[in-house]
Amino acid sequence: MIISLNWIKEYVDLSGIEVDELVKRFGLSTAEIESVTHVGGDLKDIVVAKILSVENHPKSDHLHVLMVDDGSGSPVQVVCGAPNVRVGLKTFFCRVGGQVKDMKIKPVNMVGVSSNGMCCGGNELGIEADTSGIVELDESAVVGTDIHDILPVEDVLIEIDNKSLTNRPDLWGHYGIAREFAAIFNRKLKPLKLDDVSQYEKLKKLDIKVETKNCFRYTGITVENIARHTSTPLMKLRLNYCGMRDINLLADLTNYVMLELGQPMHAFDNAVVKGITVIENKKPVTMQTLEGEKHEIAPNSIIICDEAKEPVAIAGIKGGLKSGISESTNSLLIESACFDSATIRKTSRKIGLITDASLRYEKSLDPELCLTATERLLYLLKQADKNVKVTSSFTDVYNFKYPKITINTTADFISKRGGVKLSANKIADILTRLGFQVSVDKENLKVNVPTFRATKDVSIREDLVEEVFRMYGYDNIESAPMSMPLTPVDKIPTHELEYQIKFALASRFNLNEVHSYVWNYLDFNKQVGIKQTSVVHLIDASKSGQSGLRTMLTPTLLKFADENKNKFSEISIFEIGRTFDELDKNNLVNEKKKLSVVLASETQSEKNLYFKLKQIVEYVASELVNCKIEFNKTENEIYHPVNSCSVDSGNIHLGEMGILHPTIAKNIDKRKHFACLELDVNKFLETEKLAAKITHTSKFQAVSLDFNFVMDSTRPYADIDNIISNFKCNYIMEYCLKDVYKNEEVLKGKTSYTINITITPKDKTLTSEEIEKFSKRLIKTFEAQNINLRT
Amino acid sequence: MQNKINEIKKYILEKIKGIKNLKECQALRVEMFGKSGKFTELFKLIKDVPAEEKGKVGQILNTAKQEIEGLISDNERKMSEEEINKEIYSAEKIDITLPAEKCTGSLHPRTIIQREIEEVFTSMGFVVEDGNEVETEYNNFTAVNVPENHPARDMQDTFWLDNGEVLKTHTSASQNRILKKYTPPIRAIFPGRCFRNEDVDASHENTFFQLEGVIVDKDVSVGNLIYFMKEMLSKIFNKPVEVRLRPGFFPFTEPSFEMDVKCPFCDGKGCPTCKNGGWIELCPCGMIHPQVLRNGGLDPEVYSGCAFGLGLDRMTMLSTNLNDIRELNSGNLKLLKQFKIK
Repeated sequence: MIISLNWIKEYVDLSGIEVDELVKRFGLSTAEIESVTHVGGDLKDIVVAKILSVENHPKSDHLHVLMVDDGSGSPVQVVCGAPNVRVGLKTFFCRVGGQVKDMKIKPVNMVGVSSNGMCCGGNELGIEADTSGIVELDESAVVGTDIHDILPVEDVLIEIDNKSLTNRPDLWGHYGIAREFAAIFNRKLKPLKLDDVSQYEKLKKLDIKVETKNCFRYTGITVENIARHTSTPLMKLRLNYCGMRDINLLADLTNYVMLELGQPMHAFDNAVVKGITVIENKKPVTMQTLEGEKHEIAPNSIIICDEAKEPVAIAGIKGGLKSGISESTNSLLIESACFDSATIRKTSRKIGLITDASLRYEKSLDPELCLTATERLLYLLKQADKNVKVTSSFTDVYNFKYPKITINTTADFISKRGGVKLSANKIADILTRLGFQVSVDKENLKVNVPTFRATKDVSIREDLVEEVFRMYGYDNIESAPMSMPLTPVDKIPTHELEYQIKFALASRFNLNEVHSYVWNYLDFNKQVGIKQTSVVHLIDASKSGQSGLRTMLTPTLLKFADENKNKFSEISIFEIGRTFDELDKNNLVNEKKKLSVVLASETQSEKNLYFKLKQIVEYVASELVNCKIEFNKTENEIYHPVNSCSVDSGNIHLGEMGILHPTIAKNIDKRKHFACLELDVNKFLETEKLAAKITHTSKFQAVSLDFNFVMDSTRPYADIDNIISNFKCNYIMEYCLKDVYKNEEVLKGKTSYTINITITPKDKTLTSEEIEKFSKRLIKTFEAQNINLRT
Repeated sequence: MQNKINEIKKYILEKIKGIKNLKECQALRVEMFGKSGKFTELFKLIKDVPAEEKGKVGQILNTAKQEIEGLISDNERKMSEEEINKEIYSAEKIDITLPAEKCTGSLHPRTIIQREIEEVFTSMGFVVEDGNEVETEYNNFTAVNVPENHPARDMQDTFWLDNGEVLKTHTSASQNRILKKYTPPIRAIFPGRCFRNEDVDASHENTFFQLEGVIVDKDVSVGNLIYFMKEMLSKIFNKPVEVRLRPGFFPFTEPSFEMDVKCPFCDGKGCPTCKNGGWIELCPCGMIHPQVLRNGGLDPEVYSGCAFGLGLDRMTMLSTNLNDIRELNSGNLKLLKQFKIK
């Protein structure tokens, strides 16, 4: 919203305060300022001039050669292209040496005729919307007068961030902003000049019916005998400076009052609209707006209808074409109304029509403002046209009044919340400046909230804390240390583990962390052959592009691998993110925190990748969680049917890992091998923790023995591992797999494993007999399981 | 005996001259003092010496042994020094400028920044809580005092799900759970992924990270909030910062503020980061609304508190010089791989 500082100064004397200071204090006390623009300083040596003669240009069919009197004593010749030039017209004329915005005026030769100055269009000067010709000034304008002496063209325009005014319906007009300035700088707010409507009480009442509770107040008054159709130059200037266009007197007046008070107004042609019925439509209604566009208005909107129940306006948003006013309108029905903010917002969004009026109604306007706005409009109308006649009483259907709000609080409460000791009188002074009525009884304050702050903004004592301290100045509040008891801080295990895993994967396993969206990418999945059916969906997916939420994390990472496949021969990525694969019995999403790793490589074998995953899983299990881990059979469609497994710890299922299903892998990148894993991070915390196990060292000599066992190639190494780990032995025993040997010709369906075992007794050195005895017992145990020494 | 000793001495001195390496030197030692070494044999002769001379002969032998051993040891020392020098100067000169194997892993820049910020808070006694990404309408809106008709609840702004829940629009959705979980004094932060139903461009994302915090105790004041934010941000930016409060408006706090920090990159002189304004809008905050406390089971007559939110994406972009927020969710490995672990 753009605010004209000159307009503000009409209501509050801000003399002696620099613009920078005004802007700074307002920004710190009230709302965010987006920009400050100084205008009008670039209009130089522009004066009122009278056209003395008009000749056609000898060589052009649209230019004219004029002689004008600019008050300098001798007539000046100027070439002008405007169609509305005529003898006797008074207009703004820029002399040679002067300036119109960034245009410096010099003597020029225009198609063979010298031109010494410029007759100015209103749009060129920025004071009117009109682009059709030069400014047409009133007959009374005095030739030679500088534009700055006629109009306050030099101004400071302050653009306020609309978002920072959402909770302040009272600040959507200049008068409200002026009230803030008055309060901030402790100056007096001047009263508005109004036309008291009580004088029309005896005139006929209008036929206004309100049939919806969402119309809080609807008022109307009619006027006729309107002779003047153009607005005053000042009104035009202000509308244009504040980002609107001047149209005609009546339209301009409604906009002017809106910019001044924040109350949207509407003028119907009283010849078309005789009575008003405000309804809430049950079925869609079609209406053509003032601009000629047709809109279908969804049900449950508020619609203004005429006495024949024909729609004439979308309440609070836009007027209809049929009842609109034009330059020829001479009798008016002036609407000043108040509607439910949410209803206006919903209708406005549904039909995609956001207007200056709807923006204001959305903020919950004060219904009391309806009367003030009408009185102000009538005052301004009468100022512009003395012969206007009011033809009805102020007809007021006021169905919903906000309750009066009184807040009882204490100076102590306000002081404690702010952290600054303020007296009750000081608090009362600040609140009074903002329009609150305050009575003080020692420490106690009884505060009546003014109607313009009582529609939603101020209702509790905490709201008063804000009012008091934003005026006192947040920058005047001393920073105050806090003291709290010395208590240890809890660590949330799920959060800690997440970070530890991330850190380990990046630092130990050289993986790159990515962040992705939570959508289920149907197109990608289909393209590569992943089946993923969402359990929950977005209702509106117009902006996200995908409606389902993912039930697996890995497909998203595969998508990233796909996007990077031509840039990298090796891809090792991971993410810890949420999946949404389950609804609980209350139909609420039971989300999971998943770790997914995707490895893709052009140089590493699938087996190497698979083992790297195993290394990761074992690291997390043994080093970060301290739980045991098993690899069992799994059936998961995205993995290789043979080379994949389920990862479990006891009866806790942690997830799956394996080589990616060859079909999916080939669809993504034929050159690379893929392996991936997906584990439920929080499930790790449910596993049984292993007891800490420390083996004491021995000072006696250790014996290292190698055994070559052969076993059917179909059996897993785990069979050997289980035998050794369960082998009962009185000595400290460590073992490792030294070598795996496969040779079909020699071993015929069997595989040879070289196991190195180290035994150390706690209390002596072993004799060769004892060593022999150990070996025999071990070999026998193996033989019992069909695993023999290689001969 | 003396003759035999002299003979050996002479032999040794001759032999030493010809020794070329440590091995020969060690062989000489064995030749003298080994089991059947020349000198060892001399000692064996002692048993034949008459008892009264045994002491004297022993003494002579020992002196001679020391002398000879000294000669051999000196030579040994010399030889080993020569040999080490030979090894040193014949060694391959290793080109240490060749590349070593690099750590190629990386954390997402958000993770790095988030952890850094979390560590500041934990050092100040805050617990770091984990939140959900899908929340109920109650937690996301009602519990934090967002009115029934507030635009934020509209379909246009929020990702509503077909089971009636929402993708959480702000980390404040966790406030209610945390207020209920702890008893005051409460100090907690809760980082998390948030979602808004809006069009994505260089500065707007529909998926972004926030970090929110609450402090609840008796008589927490705006002055306390200013103190705390200043300390916290000074630690994050690693230098003393100036902060200022401006009025803000959020349903969950009253009063509400926008907190600006004097641009730490130019000390407020004006730079592209602060768009020449000298201040960076960083942190919406405020005093927790009494209704939010009440919804969290706390009596606003007894307790008050403050809450604040940090845009983790914004902090990440500030500290990494990224200027397109979409990069953060892009999986662009060319970019992400440039980040490290800290």
